[in-house]
Amino acid sequence: MSGPTGDTHGEPTPVTVRLDADQFKVAAANPRQMERTVAATFLLGLAGFVGFGAAYWVNASNAWLGVSLGAGFVGLGFGMVAWGKYLMPRGPFSESRHSMVPTKAEKARIISDFSSRGKVVVERRGFLVKILGAAGAVFGVVAMFPLIRSLGPLPKHFSEATHWHKDSYLVNVNGERVHKDDLEYGGVLTVFPEGDVGGALSQTTLVRQLPPKGEVNIVTAPGRETWSPLGYMAFSRVCTHAGCPVALYQELTHQLLCPCHQSLFDIGPGAAAQPVFGPAPRPLPQLPLYIDAQGYLRAQAPFDQPVGPSFWWRRD
Amino acid sequence: MPWLRRILVPLAVVVIAAALGTFVIGRARVTASSTAMQNPGLRLTAASRLTSRGLIAAGRTLYTQTCSTCHGGDAQGSALGTDLQGLGGAAVDLWLTTGWMPLRTPGLQPANKPVNLTTAQINEIVAYVVSIKPGGVPVPTNISLKGASASEGFYMFSLNCAPCHTITGAGDALAEGFRAPSLHSVTPTQVLEAIRTGPSNMPRFGPGDISPKEALDVALYVTKYIKHPADIGGIGLGGVGPVAEGFVGLFVGVGVCLLAAYWVGDRTARGDGEAHGEGGEDESDHEGDAPAAGVDDRSYSETTSDTADA
Amino acid sequence: MIDGLYDWIDDRLNISGGGRKMVNKIFPDHWSFMIGEIALYSFVVLLATGVFLTLYFVPSSTDVVYHGPYIPLDGVHMSEAYLSTINLSFSVRCGLLMRQMHHWAANIFIGAIVVHMCRVFFTGGFRRPRELNWIIGINMLIFAIFNGFLGYSLPDDLVSGTGIRISYSILESLPLVGPYLANLLFGGAFPGNALIPRFFIIHVLILPALIAGLLGAHLTLLVRQKHTQFKGPGATEHNVVGAPMWPTFMAKTQGFLFLIAGITALLGAAVQINPIWLYGPYKPYLATYAVQPDWYMGWLDGALRVMPHWQTVIGGRVIIPNVFWPAVVLPGVTFTVLMMWPFIEQKITGDRADHQLLERPRDRPKRTALGAAVLSFYFVLFGASATDVLANYLNVSLNIVLTTFQVLVFVVPLATYPVALRICREFQATPGAGKTKRHNIVIRSADGGYSTVPTEARPGDTLRELEPVALDASIYLPALVGSPSYEPVDRAGIGARAAAGGTYEAVSVDDEAEGAEGDQGLAAATTGAEGGGRARSRVFRIPRNYRGG
Repeated sequence: MSGPTGDTHGEPTPVTVRLDADQFKVAAANPRQMERTVAATFLLGLAGFVGFGAAYWVNASNAWLGVSLGAGFVGLGFGMVAWGKYLMPRGPFSESRHSMVPTKAEKARIISDFSSRGKVVVERRGFLVKILGAAGAVFGVVAMFPLIRSLGPLPKHFSEATHWHKDSYLVNVNGERVHKDDLEYGGVLTVFPEGDVGGALSQTTLVRQLPPKGEVNIVTAPGRETWSPLGYMAFSRVCTHAGCPVALYQELTHQLLCPCHQSLFDIGPGAAAQPVFGPAPRPLPQLPLYIDAQGYLRAQAPFDQPVGPSFWWRRD
Repeated sequence: MPWLRRILVPLAVVVIAAALGTFVIGRARVTASSTAMQNPGLRLTAASRLTSRGLIAAGRTLYTQTCSTCHGGDAQGSALGTDLQGLGGAAVDLWLTTGWMPLRTPGLQPANKPVNLTTAQINEIVAYVVSIKPGGVPVPTNISLKGASASEGFYMFSLNCAPCHTITGAGDALAEGFRAPSLHSVTPTQVLEAIRTGPSNMPRFGPGDISPKEALDVALYVTKYIKHPADIGGIGLGGVGPVAEGFVGLFVGVGVCLLAAYWVGDRTARGDGEAHGEGGEDESDHEGDAPAAGVDDRSYSETTSDTADA
Repeated sequence: MIDGLYDWIDDRLNISGGGRKMVNKIFPDHWSFMIGEIALYSFVVLLATGVFLTLYFVPSSTDVVYHGPYIPLDGVHMSEAYLSTINLSFSVRCGLLMRQMHHWAANIFIGAIVVHMCRVFFTGGFRRPRELNWIIGINMLIFAIFNGFLGYSLPDDLVSGTGIRISYSILESLPLVGPYLANLLFGGAFPGNALIPRFFIIHVLILPALIAGLLGAHLTLLVRQKHTQFKGPGATEHNVVGAPMWPTFMAKTQGFLFLIAGITALLGAAVQINPIWLYGPYKPYLATYAVQPDWYMGWLDGALRVMPHWQTVIGGRVIIPNVFWPAVVLPGVTFTVLMMWPFIEQKITGDRADHQLLERPRDRPKRTALGAAVLSFYFVLFGASATDVLANYLNVSLNIVLTTFQVLVFVVPLATYPVALRICREFQATPGAGKTKRHNIVIRSADGGYSTVPTEARPGDTLRELEPVALDASIYLPALVGSPSYEPVDRAGIGARAAAGGTYEAVSVDDEAEGAEGDQGLAAATTGAEGGGRARSRVFRIPRNYRGG
């Protein structure tokens, strides 16, 4: 290939280099001294590895193990590089490059070999190829779908995914039922439906706020007049953005904050966990509560919508 | 000065990285040390303090001097400060021992500051405020962490405290200008007081939420394992996790590897004390592609000879 | 013994024929060509330490109770994966060092890949004929990021578990198939039951095998196409100038492997990484603030944060969830454009020629500026993944920090482009920028005109770079032995003869003439000399100031 750089002069031009040429000399100004340096670093490496063995033997701390191992490697590495860099012919040397573009003849040969042979030998039994192809395609389908299908269950309808039901007791992480006297105003508790303690989708944040003067309940939104008895409000703990636990309760400002991407949900008076800041697109679902005759907190109904982040075809 | 540039550029990168790293880690240290507070230690029981008229009288004087401007003469509150009546000793003690009071600027987020009052003075003010109107959460007394469980404390901490204070207790910024402070230098008393009173934007955890035993467990975990984390792997990087680790990995890890690569890969640098010419790439400044002929500053001569004879 | 073994193998495989080419292979010298090797060797460290870790790590979500030296976890329920990682850190000798080295090596691995990619991008190394290797490299980067994330997730600690939760939501956000994919991969609704074992086998087998395969292809293509080089003394489009594989490059590159391993070990000794015992086991309902992924996922996390709260709803149904844009579309577009870049640039410039010489970034101001702008975009996103930590340290409201980043993510790249362009142009316009300067003498001629003449080169000003010598093994070793500068030699033997009569001469031919028979340099040279009659040869003179040897 004739390149665009034009440094070819047409004729082969042998270049004679004398043996005492600089290229064959080592790069070090003082090879003896460099030899000693390399030897010293090799010895350092050796000592490092010995130290690593000893440190391992006596079960030394991480720092001793790492420093000795590191010293061993760095010693060897430094020495080897210095050897190559300073005590070997400094060069530079060159080799020529060859074009990766095949010649026309080369191309023609393989094309004729492959396609003409293929035409003669394979294509005359085209029906065999077709059967083979069909079998392969069927295998692909059965391999893809049934095998992949068995990796896991298909998504259930998401409102069934939580274990909240009508009259579910609220329990804490220890499975103890939550009583109306448990939380003080300004308190927060992680609760689950009884029977699903630790459930990833059922997890709910229970907070208690002082209701406005003269009222018993907190009304977060129209139609939710009875959902928050005695100031107890329960919101799904699964962020509607990316599913992290919305566990940061800013009590004074009545806000729930998600630790992952800082979506901020307003649960102040008249606010039903609407996102006020950050990337979350939807409010946190609220769990309607009531207090039974014994004073225990229970769910009036399950969440009225799927909890957690948005997904395809979810009702907005 | 190409060789100079070659040294200076990587050097500058390292220096900037080091400076930023020092800044980040330094900030962490500063935050930690500025929260350092005198340990108020164990105090007189609330009962004995209440009976001590001298204590209350001394507290009233101090209160009038330092607190009444904002909180009112009888702790009834004003436009500048909240009502302290019936608040209880724990809240007053916590806000004083942390140095939050007096606030630099009236607002919701207190900042850790050096404490100007002595432990005795704080006790006096607490006694006075409690004497105005009883109630609220008393200052916890007779704290004994002997029977407390670190593992229970760790679990309760990760459930209730880590969401804001982070799992390593380093603290972090909450929304709208609030912050969860670092817990690296708090006392058991302050932990208990904070749990029960919920200062500033922090929720209040009553006994129905975190039991007295669990509160002691948390206090043990915070004062022992948050304060002295088991950094068995080396420098702890302030406990801020992957942010600091990524910083070190990129600027120290990759940076040092690049410096090594610079040394390994550069053939022309020589240890002979002379100024070095640049390696190959600078030659590209020369127009034209003839590699050798047009270059005038190299010490070789070109002669012709008849190699056919050789 | 070794000779015998070699002969035995050689007689069956003929290594001597093709092997000589490898022995003589030239690798160009430039420090920036070693960046890829940082990645290569940190991959070696990853494999070595990773094998150690697999001996102790138990990829299981089974609930177990810990009893061991770390008191705050004593009696705590946790997954077997987490417990085995705790044991690795506390009870297995050297286990913590291996864990930390593995994690640091992963951070360095991906960092080096990115820096290497930048080097290739800014110097035009991706141009024809190396488009394929560029694409392979981008794919390795993708796999490396995925594998890093999986490895970060395997210990099943609180911080990484939160990351897995987010990744589930990202998977779920794919239109149409998302919920199905997420359920299938995780073996059910989050957290599923199959997570840890599946992530494990992907992490230790599938992705490493893919990376190793691509790495093999990457290096094979590198050897076959030969490395690019910068223009320099004797370095042209048609040759490779540098050091031979054996022994110079071998010594340096092996030493470099040890250096990388050593740096990783020292980091593992000095700086703690991912102290999972401080984080506790993952439970879906536990949370910690300041959760960030490892740095290479930081830009995605940052994108999730700066994304406004939009989602596409049609007819009351969610069509495109919010996280789909920053977490699926952004990386998808990023890597697609990266892979297509060689072809995009070909389209723009119309340059479809083979390129073996690299360009200096300044000589391609628009490409450089574009690259810098794009890099700055991801850098800002990376910064945005730490909004909370920054807000805390800078004592600024979190809301202000986030809003600032939402602005910066557009402003910084837009500002970077013209600045980078200007810098490139300035460098271009400065003659001899980056070169050793020489004084000029201004001469006033008799008729009043002025001219400038550069001063004589002083010894220190001259380039130390020599003219490259075409390397052929048949002459290399005798020449080396004969070299008077090479100390441990038998001077009375070959060297003396060489000095006396120049019996051994290094012979090189110009690349053009060499053609396809390049590896038969000596033969070609002789032929050329005979055929061409009088031909030029270059006799190198030892420079006066040369004190070497």
